[in-house]
Amino acid sequence: MNLASARATSVLKVVLFAASLVPLARLLLDVLGVGGLTLGANPVEELIHRLGKWGLNFLLITLAVTPVRRLTGLHWLVRYRRMLGLFTFFYITLHFESYTVVDHRLDISSIGEDIIERPYITLGVTALILLVPLAVTSTNGMMRRLGSRWRRLHRLVYVIAVLGVSHFYWQVKQDVQEPLIYAGILAVLLGFRVWVATKSSRHRLMRAA
Amino acid sequence: MVVPWVGIPMADFLARFEPNSNAKYVKFTTLYDPDQMPGQRRRVLDWPYVEGLTIAEAMNPLTLMVVGVYGKTLPNQNGAPMRLVVPWKYGFKSIKTINHIEFTETQPRNSWAISAPREYGFFANVNPKVDHPRWSQATERRIGTGLFTSKQDTLMFNGYGEQVAHLYSGLDLEKNF
Repeated sequence: MNLASARATSVLKVVLFAASLVPLARLLLDVLGVGGLTLGANPVEELIHRLGKWGLNFLLITLAVTPVRRLTGLHWLVRYRRMLGLFTFFYITLHFESYTVVDHRLDISSIGEDIIERPYITLGVTALILLVPLAVTSTNGMMRRLGSRWRRLHRLVYVIAVLGVSHFYWQVKQDVQEPLIYAGILAVLLGFRVWVATKSSRHRLMRAA
Repeated sequence: MVVPWVGIPMADFLARFEPNSNAKYVKFTTLYDPDQMPGQRRRVLDWPYVEGLTIAEAMNPLTLMVVGVYGKTLPNQNGAPMRLVVPWKYGFKSIKTINHIEFTETQPRNSWAISAPREYGFFANVNPKVDHPRWSQATERRIGTGLFTSKQDTLMFNGYGEQVAHLYSGLDLEKNF
């Protein structure tokens, strides 16, 4: 089957959509206690944590599309990037909702105090706010309207990723191994873009000489 | 939740060793055995885990040398065979799997204070007025109440003020966190 065909793309989009909902489905099973599954002894923390991690997972997968395209030549992979980006926004929004609704029970003053006084939460909320314009401008219509400005706007995802991983790192009590792994992967994904950018400018210098 | 620990008063336990007047603190050390305890294979903290109490805190009737829970012998993950329980302090003070106890003249350096001195101190009394540098300690959610209950206000000394507040009269609990 030609994976780049229109037909394959429709099928793969449905498959990817369903697969992207699996983490949420598993979470729901844990919440409902189906088959003995639970969220553990500290369910509120586990809920917030799980949603945040999946948000970061989707963010890193989204950022991996461009390097994988370049290295494999499978340029049609870009068709799935929007869905992956929107699932990132989806999980991060749920993560924020689990924090404000389940944990803080919509107590605006304690949420506000957290956002102002706890730097790691300030970073997290900033990252979420920056995700909004990206989600809003994700449609084909918006891409047409914004033209070259769309690309520049969506470079914000690099800032969001750094803020997100920093938020994770700063939230951990002591064992920084997991956030450091995420930071390492992010460094590779961002480093790839730096390498590509410097490669093309080195090329231009060489040709000019 | 209120945990039904089974233990003996630490005061009775320590009295057998007849500490003299130089004994100002009690220092507890846990087992260091990475084969049995895989978590100790990485130096997340400076193993073995160390904790301490002032002699007055150790002799308080609430301080327990615990050997069981829910009417049964302590399971490994709860700190078998013996662990400390100090219910008016944050949980990290209640050291598990104690295998060495010392009376000391100077304040012992406890593991969390060694690794993050700005965040964890020696006294670690439950105190809603003293925040952790990165988050608030003013509210808490009771364990076992599930996903949809509200938080409640944290109580000073975890509600045991009547029994232990006198130990800290004159001590600035914001500096001595």
